[in-house]
Amino acid sequence: MSFLLPKLTCKREVDQAIKSVAEKVLVLRFGRDNDAVCLQLDDILAKTSHDLSKMAVIYLVDVDNVPVYTQYFDISYIPSTVFFFNGQHMKVDYGSPDHTKFVGSFKTKQDFIDLIEVIYRGAMRGKLIVRSPIDPNNIPKYDLLYQGI
Amino acid sequence: RPEHRRETARFWRENRAEAALRERCLVPAEEYERFVQALERALAEHQRREEERILQMAADIREAERRQRETVQAALQKYCSFFLNRTQLHTEPELCAGPSVCRPPAGPERDSPCTAEQPSPSRVQTGPDLAWMESGNVLTFIGHQEREGEGNVHTGAKPPWLTEEEDGSKQQIGPSYEDFLKHKEKQKLKKLPMERVGANFDHTSQTNDSWLPSFGRVWNHGRRWQSR
Repeated sequence: MSFLLPKLTCKREVDQAIKSVAEKVLVLRFGRDNDAVCLQLDDILAKTSHDLSKMAVIYLVDVDNVPVYTQYFDISYIPSTVFFFNGQHMKVDYGSPDHTKFVGSFKTKQDFIDLIEVIYRGAMRGKLIVRSPIDPNNIPKYDLLYQGI
Repeated sequence: RPEHRRETARFWRENRAEAALRERCLVPAEEYERFVQALERALAEHQRREEERILQMAADIREAERRQRETVQAALQKYCSFFLNRTQLHTEPELCAGPSVCRPPAGPERDSPCTAEQPSPSRVQTGPDLAWMESGNVLTFIGHQEREGEGNVHTGAKPPWLTEEEDGSKQQIGPSYEDFLKHKEKQKLKKLPMERVGANFDHTSQTNDSWLPSFGRVWNHGRRWQSR
């Protein structure tokens, strides 16, 4: 599935994507191509990317290639998906402990489409954090490990 | 209590209130003692209830985690036996030996794969839907991203895409001069009527060498009314 979506392989390319994608939601999937949950997520991303092409641009990033970003976004579980709009990092409240990224895969394509739409509308209205429309039961549960506590 | 009396007296003098009211407002000593004791009791009671609540929450979380682990194990065992059934197409004894190899704590499910291969695919199909959420527990963990010296997104550090200074080429932020001129042209275009011909012309679509604009069906066959 991951061969259907464009990939970014180095920090410079990720920077370029963040700075240059305009007026559309930028979706960066951080993970590994051969991981099981990543494959599920990539499948959903690939199938919806055409329909969302007017609202969103999707890229895949391998966490081993960009340690700077892996460390900056504190990516401990893969896949983790980060959203940007016009170079600004968008936060979403999913009901999970971490609002800066979406951890895991989506249950259905419609969940992902709804989420992109909510992010797009929120960004158009100038909001930096939006509330996810996905049913909290469909959000993958994970333990957020705090350092030093 | 003597100082209580003195304070009320002073308060009354300063605010010039009714002397009769003052007596009524004095709190007798035994009332005060009772109040202090009741306060201690209420405090102890409250603390006890809070601790109980916290322990209860911890027990609930432990229980939920245990149930999650069990469901994950059950789902994994289903997959395990299903694959073993598929690979061993030969004889009965081997079929029954397959599931017994991965004998899990959940006993009842083991008997069904031994009986027939046909029911098992359908059963495993419904399995994944229920186990979708539980399999999310086995998200790949790629380690604590521990770097005490620098910050990260949670601590509000500078984002990596803004720290790149030695990229070199374009130092200026914002669109270039040509982009600005193009933007002004587009603004003018927006003022034109929406139903004009070619308003929805897609300038950015890629065309190959054999593309031609359609001009009045000169090279095309068909009736004249089709040339619109």
